[in-house]
Amino acid sequence: MTVPLIQIEELTRRFGKRTALDQLGLHVGSGEIVGLVGPNGSGKTTLLKMMAGFLKPTRGRISLFGLNPYTQRAAVMEQARFAFAPPPLFESLTAREHVKHLTRIRRREMPRVSPADIDQALVRVGLFHRQHDKVKTFSFGMRQRLTLALALLPKPRLLVLDEPTDGLDPLAILELRSVLKDLRRETGITILLSSHLLVEVDELVDRMLVLSEGKRIFLGTPDELCSGTEILELNTSDLDGAFSLLEKAHMNPQRRKNRIQLPLDSITLQEIIKLLTPAGIDVLEFHKKRPGLEEALLARLRHESNARESAEIAG
Amino acid sequence: MIIRLELLRVWRSRRPLLTGFSLLFFLMLMLLGFYTYARTETGGDVDFRYTYENESYFNGLTFALYAFYFGFLLILPIFAATEGGAQIAGDTASRTLNLYLSRPLTRSRIFFTKFTIAACGAALVVGFFLAISLALGLFTVGWGDLRIYPGVLQMTSRPQALSQDEALFRFFLAWPTATLALLTPLSLSFLLSSWAKSPINAVGISFALYLMLYVIAEIHFFRELRPWLFTSSMSYWRGLFQEEIPWKTMGQEAAKLCGFTALFLALAFRRFRTREER
Repeated sequence: MTVPLIQIEELTRRFGKRTALDQLGLHVGSGEIVGLVGPNGSGKTTLLKMMAGFLKPTRGRISLFGLNPYTQRAAVMEQARFAFAPPPLFESLTAREHVKHLTRIRRREMPRVSPADIDQALVRVGLFHRQHDKVKTFSFGMRQRLTLALALLPKPRLLVLDEPTDGLDPLAILELRSVLKDLRRETGITILLSSHLLVEVDELVDRMLVLSEGKRIFLGTPDELCSGTEILELNTSDLDGAFSLLEKAHMNPQRRKNRIQLPLDSITLQEIIKLLTPAGIDVLEFHKKRPGLEEALLARLRHESNARESAEIAG
Repeated sequence: MIIRLELLRVWRSRRPLLTGFSLLFFLMLMLLGFYTYARTETGGDVDFRYTYENESYFNGLTFALYAFYFGFLLILPIFAATEGGAQIAGDTASRTLNLYLSRPLTRSRIFFTKFTIAACGAALVVGFFLAISLALGLFTVGWGDLRIYPGVLQMTSRPQALSQDEALFRFFLAWPTATLALLTPLSLSFLLSSWAKSPINAVGISFALYLMLYVIAEIHFFRELRPWLFTSSMSYWRGLFQEEIPWKTMGQEAAKLCGFTALFLALAFRRFRTREER
C-alpha cells in the first residue's frame, strides 16, 4: 500500500483558549489537486503553516512524504514548495536574484537549477522582461508571480499555494490555471491550493476541503458539494407571509428577489404545502435548483453556523 | 548558498555605507575636539600641522587611540546592536524568514550563517575604524611615538611611551581583540532578535541593556557587581597599549567575554530552534 503524500490525523491546534484547528483529518494521494476553502479565520493558514513545519500541533499527527514537518522541516522542503500569501520577498533584490539564490539553497541530492531553468520559470510566470528589476518596484500581482516562479524550482513533488490568485488580473489567473494544469500533466505533481476564488477551485481541483471555525465541514469533489445542497425555489401568493411561516418552522428560507429558496436536504414540497395552505397561501410556482459551487458552499456554511448556534443555545 | 544571498542583502541594505559615513563623521568630530582642546587647554603649545617627526604628546597615534577608545565605548556597540538586531527580528517582521524556512535549510544553518555575517561585519567595522583613525591621524596631525599619561583614558597609572612601530603593531593587535569584545553585545542583540518580532525593539532593547550594564560597570558604587558584567571586561584590549602587555589578565578577560558570547548565542539558538513562526 502506498503512503499518502499528505497524511493528517486528528490534527488540533490551539492558540491560548482559541481552537484554530479541531481534530482535522485528511489524506492526499500523489498527483491530486486539492482545494482548501473556508471563510477568514477558518484555519486554512494555520493548516498550511503546520504543513510547512512553522507551527507545532497541539494534538494529532501530520506527515508529508512520511516525514514530520515540524521536526524534519528541511527534509520535507526537499520535495515540497510553499508559496505563502502575501508573498514575502527581499525588497532590495531583483526577480532573477531571488530565483537564482533561493533555488541554490538545496541539498546535494537535489537536482541543480540551471540558468535556462530560471529563464523558463520566469517566462512561465510572465516576469522574464522584468527579471532585473528590484522587487520593491513590483506590484502585488507581480510579487505573486515571482513567488510562483520560486515555487516551481527545483521541480517539487508537492506544491502548496496560499491564495495564489490574489492580486492577479483575469489574464494572469487564466495563465496560472494553465501553468498548474500543465505541471500536473507533465510531472504528476500534487497541489494543495488555498483560495477564495471558487471558480478557480471548481476549475482545478479534484477534491476540496472546506473548513469552518477550524472544523472540517466537507471533503469531497465539487460535484458532491453541489449535489448535497439542492435548493427548492418557490413563488407564492404572499411571499412575506410564506417567508415568515417557513422561518418559524426552522426551514431556513432565503429571500432571492421575488422568490424564496429552501434547502432541499431535509424538507419535502408536501411539507411546505401543508404548512402554507392553512394560512391561505398558494404555491404559484416551484422548481428544484442545483446550485453553483459558491451557493452550495454558502449553504453548507450557513447550515454549519445554524447547527452550531442551536447546539450553543441547547448547551 | 545562503551566505552569498545574505552578503548580497547586507550590501544592498546600504548599512555598510551608512556605518562608514557615521564613523567618518564621528572621527571628524573627534578631530575638531582635538584642535579645540589643543587651542584652549594647552595654551597653543601644541602644533597640529603635519609633522611626521612630531614628538609632542598629541600626535596622530594619540588621536587614533582616543578616537578608537571613545568609539568603542558607544559607537561600535550601537552598530553591533543594529546589525545583530536586524538579522533575525528583521526577517521575522518582513516574513522573509519564511522564504528560508520554505527551503531545505536547517535552522542552525540559517542562524549561524547570519551570526557569521554579522561577526565578519563587526570585524570589518572595527578594522575600518582603526584604519581610518590612523590614516586621519597621519594626514591631519602627524605621527610620532605614542605617549600615554595617567588621565582620561585610564590606561595607565604612570607615564608610558611606545615607539611608533611598536604602537602601530599594538593597533594591529587591537583589531582582533576589540572585535572579540564586540561579539558579546552582538550575541546579546542576537538573543533579543530571536525573541523580538520587531527589529526596532531588538535593537533598542539590546542597546539600552548594553548602556545600562556599561554604566553599572563604570560606577564605583556597583563594584561588587563588576566581575559579573561583560561590560566591565569589554575594554580589555586597552592592555595592548601598556609597555608590558598584561597577557594573563587580558586572556582571563577575553575568556570571560567568550563565555558570555557563548551563553548568549546558546540561548539565542535554543530560542530560534524551538520557536514557532506564527
